[in-house]
Amino acid sequence: MSEIYHISGLEHSHGGRLVLNVESLTVSGGEIAGITGPNGSGKSTLMAVMAFLLKPDLGRVRFLGRAVDFAEPSLRRQAVLLPQDPCLLRRTVWGNVSYGLSVRGLKDEGLVRRAMDMVGLDPQRFAKRWWWELSGGEIRRVGLAARLALSPEALLLDEPTANLDPESARLVRLAILAEVSGQQSAAVVISHDQQWLESFVTALYRLDPDQGLKTLY
Amino acid sequence: MGFILEGLAKAVNLLASGDAETFSAVWATLLATGQAMAAALVLGLPLGFALGYFPFPGKRLCRLGFDTLMAFPTVVIGLLVYALLSRQGPLGGLNLLFTVPGMSLGLAVLALPMVVSLTASAVEQLDPRLRLALLTLGADTRQMLLSTLWEARHGVLAGTLAAFGRVVSEVGIAMMVGGNIKWHTRTITTAIALETGKGEFAMGLALGLVLLAMALTVNVVLALLRRRTGP
Repeated sequence: MSEIYHISGLEHSHGGRLVLNVESLTVSGGEIAGITGPNGSGKSTLMAVMAFLLKPDLGRVRFLGRAVDFAEPSLRRQAVLLPQDPCLLRRTVWGNVSYGLSVRGLKDEGLVRRAMDMVGLDPQRFAKRWWWELSGGEIRRVGLAARLALSPEALLLDEPTANLDPESARLVRLAILAEVSGQQSAAVVISHDQQWLESFVTALYRLDPDQGLKTLY
Repeated sequence: MGFILEGLAKAVNLLASGDAETFSAVWATLLATGQAMAAALVLGLPLGFALGYFPFPGKRLCRLGFDTLMAFPTVVIGLLVYALLSRQGPLGGLNLLFTVPGMSLGLAVLALPMVVSLTASAVEQLDPRLRLALLTLGADTRQMLLSTLWEARHGVLAGTLAAFGRVVSEVGIAMMVGGNIKWHTRTITTAIALETGKGEFAMGLALGLVLLAMALTVNVVLALLRRRTGP
């Protein structure tokens, strides 16, 4: 299995307080890493580092076998993050899901349709709906579909099932499994719902403010 | 009431017969408004965007400045532009006083603070999570800026409409800088003021109808555009 991430000695402070402390984390291709932990343990900060949006104060991050240069914006197209509270663009569902492809100069209706299907949004019914015509759960699923359409090397999901009903949570789980099994990519999923994570992740970690990242299995 | 209806009938007749003097004023208005709005948008959109998007020292002061300029009395703008363009003024050599381009310049000065200020407000009111959404979807710097402007399109459109409404209905600047010269710089508004003063009520009314139709057309076109690009 190819190495997607190798992180070591990661530390980041905010306002003089240590908000992230990860001694070591390796994520390989085909792997789904679940991260759980209490509020304020640095989970979202870790995601921001893994999405190359935040340069940590200390530590080394290797991505696809190379040391990461946080000033290199093109890397962000390979590690795609779904934020905890995603916001949609003021476009239709189709416009939202195809946006990432269009900024990459790609136009592939098949990928957009597939991504929408994966999260249970029927393209026939949803493609032309505007952003304001969607429920909270649908917004989250559109946000996820927009990331799935990009088939990134690393799919980073921050609380992807918050506000979702059990059926939607099941679809999200299936979508993540399909995304990772189909190619040499990996997913990192943050959730408070440890039981849900245990139902599909290949490795589970717990992040604590004091003890840092602990491997559960 | 009778004289209004009579005026209205004459006005329709003037328009239907293609009265040259009426249409000369319409043309001067279209030209001056079009040039002024084009200049105000070309300068104002990037300026307003930058003012709303980027943090920089003195930003609040800048906003305050443009907000104040929005409420600047139009006669004072007319006076200043007149002074600039007059023979002794710094731009006197350009011979723009009492010309349509000169009038456009004055009207652009009127529209610019509105376009800048309302564009900045539209950008500032965007969802603070938008930047992260665009970044995580892979937009580069140029795509981020363009997509952010697109997200603010409704506010920008409202600002453009407000500026257009003010420019197309402006009398003071058109009168002072344009000089209200028949067949040349006489606009709809200056002609209405003059014709009504002369007792030519029908002509004033005809021009008023054209002004209303112009405002209606621009609003309808922009409303259709708005429907196509998301409510």
